[in-house]
Amino acid sequence: MGSCTKCGNPNVIIKRKASGQALCKDCFIESIEKKVKQTIKKENFIEKGDKVLVALSGGKDSVVTLEILNSYVKRHIIELCAVTIDEGIAGYREEGVEIAKAHADRLGIPHKVVSFKESFGIDLDEIMKNENHRGSCTYCGVFRRWIINRAAREFGATKIATGHNLDDETQAILMNYLEGNTENLAKIGPKTESNSELFTVKIKPLREIPEKEIGLYALAKGLDIHLAGCPYAQESFRMEISNILNELVKEHPTIKYSTLRGFDKIRPAIRSEMAHDYEFDRCERCGEPSSNRLCRACTFLEELGK
Amino acid sequence: MSFTLKIKDKVEKREIDGDLTIKDLLDDLDLSSETMVSKKNGEIVIEEETIEDGDEIEFIQIIYGG
Repeated sequence: MGSCTKCGNPNVIIKRKASGQALCKDCFIESIEKKVKQTIKKENFIEKGDKVLVALSGGKDSVVTLEILNSYVKRHIIELCAVTIDEGIAGYREEGVEIAKAHADRLGIPHKVVSFKESFGIDLDEIMKNENHRGSCTYCGVFRRWIINRAAREFGATKIATGHNLDDETQAILMNYLEGNTENLAKIGPKTESNSELFTVKIKPLREIPEKEIGLYALAKGLDIHLAGCPYAQESFRMEISNILNELVKEHPTIKYSTLRGFDKIRPAIRSEMAHDYEFDRCERCGEPSSNRLCRACTFLEELGK
Repeated sequence: MSFTLKIKDKVEKREIDGDLTIKDLLDDLDLSSETMVSKKNGEIVIEEETIEDGDEIEFIQIIYGG
């Protein structure tokens, strides 16, 4: 079966078809940490003195993001803080919140849990009881971004780190390309920046790591992670794209890397041709930045009678 | 020959006829190796790993749709 291509250990935990490498537990852990640090350096994600807010759900991606960024705290390069969002999904979210709290405690990282209910007066379970709802993911995405952005300002964070991985990025590239959504395509990238100072820069340290390897890293390091599927997850275009990519990767193991790499090369051209520079004002209702009278979150809340 | 299979809280004893690898077992159960991490006797293993008499095999789903 072969041994670790780096150290010769016979106990291999991964064979990477893309590179031909076989790695033991220790060499695999080291390879992931090295790759994430290379991405952080290449994309200038972090400057000395940054305070980075991690959007910490308790799932594998955010826990691994926190774990690896914590090595920069140990070296006194950055400070970390974390926010966990309780959307109000009974029977699902509670465990993730507890796991998130435990990781923040373990690492001594300032942490807060913010709920949809306290922020908007309604939680996701209540929203989904409405007959004319727009679909759970639509509300969840918009409301989570609203909370994360506000939490970043409250913590005085200079960056927001999310757990987006290689699969998330390649799915987004393909989805938006296939749908002809050039406006959203122009927004994809390692950093999300805005011309409004009210938005904090978002960084994606795991964007070059395949999703499966993030899960494997968490298990190999013995990190407690929330392993469960959202009860509101449903068939979606993203899921169809994900299935296509995972089918393709069997015979074309480098396909996700090449999709991302190719996109990153043409991204400057897409941005200069397609990106809009919105003029931001403040939402009339909540005061958050918005290019319209109401921000998306408040538009939804008005629809919901809140 | 038999082994124990654990998936989430479900534990069952299964019989083996001849050589069986983790990959064969995943295929039999119609589980995707893209979403699962496999453990044999508590240690993470690759799909080519052979299952032997008395082994405890655990599949951990690490990727969920949505």
